[in-house]
Amino acid sequence: MTMVSANADTNDIQSSHRALIAHLVRRAGFGATPAELDKYCGWGYDATVEWLLRPEAQPGLDEDIIERYYIDWKESRNIEGALTETVYRMNGNAATRPLQEKVALFWHGVFATGLAKVLHEKTMLNQIDMFREYGLGSFRTLLERLARDPAMIFWLDNNFNHKDAINENWGRELLELFSMGVGMDDKENYTEDDVQEAARAFTGWTIDDDNVASIPYGKTPWLFRYDPDDHDDGVKTFQGETGNFNGDDIIEIICRQPSTARFISRHMYNFFVADDVQVPAWQSTPPADPEAIALLEAEYFRSGYDIRSMLKVLFTSDFFKSETARFARVKSPAEVVVGTLHLVGDLKFPRTGVMDTALECRYMNQDLLNPPSVEGWHTGKEWIDSGSMVERINFVADELGNSAHPGVRDIVGALLEGESSLDAGGIVDGCLELLGCVALRDDNRTALVAQAAELLENGTDLESVILNALRMIGSTREYQFA
Amino acid sequence: MTTVVEYPVSVAGLYQYHDVIGLLSASGPGFSGPVSLALGPDGLLHVASRANPNQPEGVRVTRCTFDGAYMGEFSGWGEGPGQFIWVTEIRFGPDGMLYLSDENTHRISVFTPEGEFVRCWGELGAEPGQLNGPSGMAFAPDGSLLVVDSLNHRVQRFTADGEFLTGWGEEGEGPGQFRMPWGVAVDAAGDVYVTDWRNDRVQKFDADGGFITEFGGRDGGDGFSRPNGLTVDNDGLIYVCDWWNDRVQVLDASGRVIDTLIGHSGTSRWARTFLDANPDIEEKLNAATQNIELKRRFYRPAAVTVSDDGLVFVADCYRHRVQIYRKRS
Repeated sequence: MTMVSANADTNDIQSSHRALIAHLVRRAGFGATPAELDKYCGWGYDATVEWLLRPEAQPGLDEDIIERYYIDWKESRNIEGALTETVYRMNGNAATRPLQEKVALFWHGVFATGLAKVLHEKTMLNQIDMFREYGLGSFRTLLERLARDPAMIFWLDNNFNHKDAINENWGRELLELFSMGVGMDDKENYTEDDVQEAARAFTGWTIDDDNVASIPYGKTPWLFRYDPDDHDDGVKTFQGETGNFNGDDIIEIICRQPSTARFISRHMYNFFVADDVQVPAWQSTPPADPEAIALLEAEYFRSGYDIRSMLKVLFTSDFFKSETARFARVKSPAEVVVGTLHLVGDLKFPRTGVMDTALECRYMNQDLLNPPSVEGWHTGKEWIDSGSMVERINFVADELGNSAHPGVRDIVGALLEGESSLDAGGIVDGCLELLGCVALRDDNRTALVAQAAELLENGTDLESVILNALRMIGSTREYQFA
Repeated sequence: MTTVVEYPVSVAGLYQYHDVIGLLSASGPGFSGPVSLALGPDGLLHVASRANPNQPEGVRVTRCTFDGAYMGEFSGWGEGPGQFIWVTEIRFGPDGMLYLSDENTHRISVFTPEGEFVRCWGELGAEPGQLNGPSGMAFAPDGSLLVVDSLNHRVQRFTADGEFLTGWGEEGEGPGQFRMPWGVAVDAAGDVYVTDWRNDRVQKFDADGGFITEFGGRDGGDGFSRPNGLTVDNDGLIYVCDWWNDRVQVLDASGRVIDTLIGHSGTSRWARTFLDANPDIEEKLNAATQNIELKRRFYRPAAVTVSDDGLVFVADCYRHRVQIYRKRS
């Protein structure tokens, strides 16, 4: 692997081409190993963006291997198993299809659906698979798939939405949390009548009634079913338009609204660029960077609601590349866990104990597949409390300091290659760079260098000093930011 | 019995659906991901459940009669003597003992038919006699034990006590090479059949490991997709669990497919008991309009064995049951 600036100061590292690409893959994926960063740097920034945007061109996971060793995952009979599979797949795809996984995680946060109610793990996992398949395509298509997703139908009671007795839960959240948002620029985006009319349009969109049938022979996935006899065929008025609307017509109207462009753009900015205020505040709180949001909104309409096109604009924009955007987001627990696993090279082949590793996400306050509500997880600094912070630090420090991991051995080996010139500063800066050009505050870096120097003076062997430096970097505040 | 299936037959009609034993259960009557089965000298069916780490109590060997009377279970999750993590195969030896392979602990454990632990052997490694992911096993006519050493991409022959005798194979796609082989069977002449899992074929060898021929391949139709468990019956017919195609292929000695089993499960005795106690669930099941056909069929069949009187037992792994066919004379 290439070492470009082992003894450079932090600012020099951050101005490097390598640091920019490291920033890109932290946001568009789960970070990169030193070898992967070498590869991306060889391609260049724009080519790496293009590669990220085309995950379907890369090989997927070896499903046969997964089925052979984790035979229970095919039907995933409990919440922990489903969480474990999700983390395993994110980590498994982190080298080949990172953006596909990141986008699936993004939509999982936006279209938050939870096993606390759904209680059918494979059906939830199928929803995540749907995000993988459609998450980079047309937003309209994505909403059409979401409206037919059995987990979502059950989560928001659309199986109880009948033509003679509507249930407006899905209709309301579709507008409020999944597309338009309550309001923007201090104005409301829809009316209560719109909610009712949307709900009418989705009557008869249901699932089969065998959802408790986990026995006698295991579960079968829930399937969407359209019941024309239970669909309200009457005329509806939605967003000022009148017609005999079915669900897809409502989605088509939604996608044409400027509020939808704003809502999706803000979500993208919050997830990929910088922490924003929480969603309920968006009606009255303008975007932190209105020009960036306007750029994304324009691309939403120009491209025909194409998420891939919007992300290309985002990743190649000046506001994304800016050094002020680096480490401006608190990592979600999934980013901490999967990013660290990927870096150290763990879980690349089935092993036992994977559930204990995956559950770290839950301990850090992100119970994947089981968000706290339909609003999803609050992000940014709200990820952090004293308990979750301890979990984060302990997990990362344990993983980065474990020389049994191949990724850790690679980092140690790369630094030991230049052993004759390796002083305390070189060890710390080398570790920072190989961990993905991590930027430390000067006082933190100074403290780590001093500790490494003390260990060296005491005769501690170089490998142990390096492992200690890795652990200490993993314990810093800065490592918790993407 | 309580099955409601009206005696359908296999694709070519050589086999008639007979019965089903099973229920998803982590303990007691039922299975949890059955991956292997063996007919014991005590006349009982033994079924190994692989289950999952979240339900360690589901990892076990269940004993039952051929018509589904539960007779008990033994062993369980763990690395201690008499325990296992990732069971892949159980086989009875000529000594009447049950041999169990564990891909995770890389060892072979030996039990009495009643489940009393006797001994275990095996260690992780790639040297001759060492194992990395032991999976399929079969006893040869001379009493030696063939073990598929899956992650070392080879087959090794041991004495029943674990003394290494010989072995063959390496990673690759050519004759005599393997990619994560899974199952092994031996015919009356001592010839050896190995399911070459990631090469989607069955290879046939003589008793010394000399390559004879291969069956299957990735040609669709009669080809295999990740074949795993297999057996050879007293008539020399070869039964191969065509895992990813969710079927069992029956081949004659020349390797020609003569019939296909796809699964016809009805309601088992254990399932009937459960549903009688939970009529609300049965009501839901009866109201379903989708997946009905799917639930009868095999879902990742992992192991097959044939009794002397022509009953074909298939471990229907992802449906937690054993489906039974009878050979039509």
